[in-house]
Amino acid sequence: MTTLSHYLMASGLLFSLGLAGVMLRRNILIIFMCLEMMLSAVNLSLVAFSRYGIVNGIQNYDAQVLVFFIITVAAAEVAVGLAIIVALFRSRQTTHSEDLNAMKF
Amino acid sequence: MNPLFLEYTVVLLGIILLMVEAFLPDLDKKKIALAGIAGLFFVLFLTWMPLHSLSIESAPFYTTDPLALFFKRFMIVMTIITLWMSLDFIPVIQRGIPGERPGAGVGEFFILPIFACASLMWLVSAISFIMLFVSLECMTVVLYISISYLRKDPKTLEAGTKYLILSALTTGFLVYGITWIFGITGTTSIEHLADSIALLPPQSLTPLLFGVGLVLVAFCFKIAAFPFQFWLPDVYQGAPTPITAFLSIASKAAGFVLLLRFLEQLYLIPTLGKKVFAVTTLLAMMTLLFGNLAAMAQTNMKRLLAYSSIAHTGYVLMAVASIGAALALPAIGFYLVAYLAMTSLAFIVLLIVTETSGGNEIYCFQGLHERSPLLAAAMTVAMISLAGLPLSAGFFGKFFIFQVTFQQGHYGLLGVGTISVVAGIYYYLKVIKVMYWKQPSQGSAPITLSKLTTVLISLLIAVILILGIYPTPILMSLQ
Repeated sequence: MTTLSHYLMASGLLFSLGLAGVMLRRNILIIFMCLEMMLSAVNLSLVAFSRYGIVNGIQNYDAQVLVFFIITVAAAEVAVGLAIIVALFRSRQTTHSEDLNAMKF
Repeated sequence: MNPLFLEYTVVLLGIILLMVEAFLPDLDKKKIALAGIAGLFFVLFLTWMPLHSLSIESAPFYTTDPLALFFKRFMIVMTIITLWMSLDFIPVIQRGIPGERPGAGVGEFFILPIFACASLMWLVSAISFIMLFVSLECMTVVLYISISYLRKDPKTLEAGTKYLILSALTTGFLVYGITWIFGITGTTSIEHLADSIALLPPQSLTPLLFGVGLVLVAFCFKIAAFPFQFWLPDVYQGAPTPITAFLSIASKAAGFVLLLRFLEQLYLIPTLGKKVFAVTTLLAMMTLLFGNLAAMAQTNMKRLLAYSSIAHTGYVLMAVASIGAALALPAIGFYLVAYLAMTSLAFIVLLIVTETSGGNEIYCFQGLHERSPLLAAAMTVAMISLAGLPLSAGFFGKFFIFQVTFQQGHYGLLGVGTISVVAGIYYYLKVIKVMYWKQPSQGSAPITLSKLTTVLISLLIAVILILGIYPTPILMSLQ
C-alpha cells in the first residue's frame, strides 16, 4: 500500500537529485535539465498532498491547480532559457559554466 | 472601477504597442517609448479613481489594501522612469543586437518593461500562493529576456545566463516551500495562513518550518539579502543599464512586499514569530555589513551601485525585523520611494556618462562638473541621498528606519546600522570627490543632454530634495 510518505520520499529524492545536479554539473544544458527535474519533484508532492489531504470527504484541488501553473511556467521558462543558452553558445562557442567569467571583482 | 482594470489596461497597452511595432516597422522607435510612457501616466492617473469591491471569484487571490495600491503606483512610476531613461539608450541597443535593418528589435526593449510592470502590479496584490507564484514567474521570464537583450555583448549574455539559472533554482525552492506549507496547513492562502497555522498540532511545526525556510530563501534571493546576494553584482554589471535600474528597484520592492505579507502572518504566531525575528535580524546585520564593506573596494561604478543596493536591502530588512512597530510599514514605504528616486537618478547619470566616455569605471567620472554641471550636480544629490546626509530623501528614510528599530529596542541592529552608515558615507563621497576634484581625462568632450533627459533629471532631483524637507505625504499614504 503506497502512502503519502512514499510519495513525499520519492519527490524529496528527485528534488535532491536535481539540486545536486545543479550544484555539481558544469554543463549549462544539464543544469537546466536538473532545474526542470526539481519542478517535476514539486509537482509530484503537490499532487500527493492534494490526493491524501482529504477534508470533509473532498480532496483539496488548490494544489492541482498550482501544478498546472507550474507546468505552464516551466514551459515558458524552457522556451526563453534555451533561447538564451543558444545565443550564449553562438557568441562563446561553449556551454560550460566555468567559461562564464568575463566579470570578476 | 474594477481594480483588476488597472492591470488589464497595462497589458493591453503592451499588446497594442507590440502590434504597432509589428505592423509599422518604419515607425520611429522613440515614439513607441513615448506612447508607453503616456499610457503608463494614464494608468497612474487611474489608480486614484474610486475602486469597486472585488468580484467574489477573485477576492481570495487579490487584494487592494493601501499597501498594494501604494506599490502599484510605485511600480508604474519605476516603469515610466525605465522607459524614459531607455530613450538615451537607443544607440547602445542598436549596436548590441544583430539586425538586418537599423532599428530592428529596438521597439521590444521598451515594451518588455510594460509587461513586467503588469505582472509586478498583480504581484503586490497577491494574497494567495498560486497568484504569487504565477505573477512572480511572469515578471522573471520578462526579466530573463530583458537582461540578455544585447546579444552581441558577451557580458550581457553571461549576466542573463547567470540570472536564468539562479532564478530558476529559487523558483524550485519557492514552489517546494509552498508545497510543504500547503501540505501541512491545507491552504494556499497567505491572508489566512496564521489562522490555519494556529489550528495545527505542535508536532507538525517542524515540517512547516522546512517549508517556511524554503520560501524565505526564495524571497531573500529576490531582495538580494546576504548570503543570497552572490548573483547580484555580475547580473547588475552585465545587464543593460535601464534594466539594471528596473531590477534593482522594482523587482526588489516587490520582493519586500511579498516578504512583508508573508512575515506579517508568521509574526502572529508567537512560537514562530520569535524564530523568524531572529532570522531577519541576522539577515539584516549580515547584509548591511557585507554590502557596505564590499562596496568600499569597488572601482566600477555599476558594481558600486550593485553593492550599495545590497546595503540598502539591509536597511529595509532592519525595519522588516521591527515589523511590530506601528510606523514600520510607512518607514519601509518611504525608504523604498527615496531609494527609487536616488538610485534611478544615479543610474541615469551612469548611463549617459558610460555612453560618452566609453566605460563605467569610476575614473570615467573624472571632472564631470566641467563636462556637464547638471549631471555632476545630479550625481552629487544622488550620492548625498544614498549616503543619508541631511536635507535629502535618504536622510529621512534612514531616520525613520532607525527610529522604528530604536522603538522596538533592537540595539544590536542599531549598532550595526550605524557602522554601515559611516562606511556608506566613505564610498559615496569618493564618487563626488572624483567628479569635482579631478581633471577630466584627455579628449573628453562636454556632454549635451536632450530636453527630455534634462526634465527627468531635474524632476528626480526635485523629488529627492522635497522629500528631504517634507516627507509627510508618503508617510500618510501608508498609515
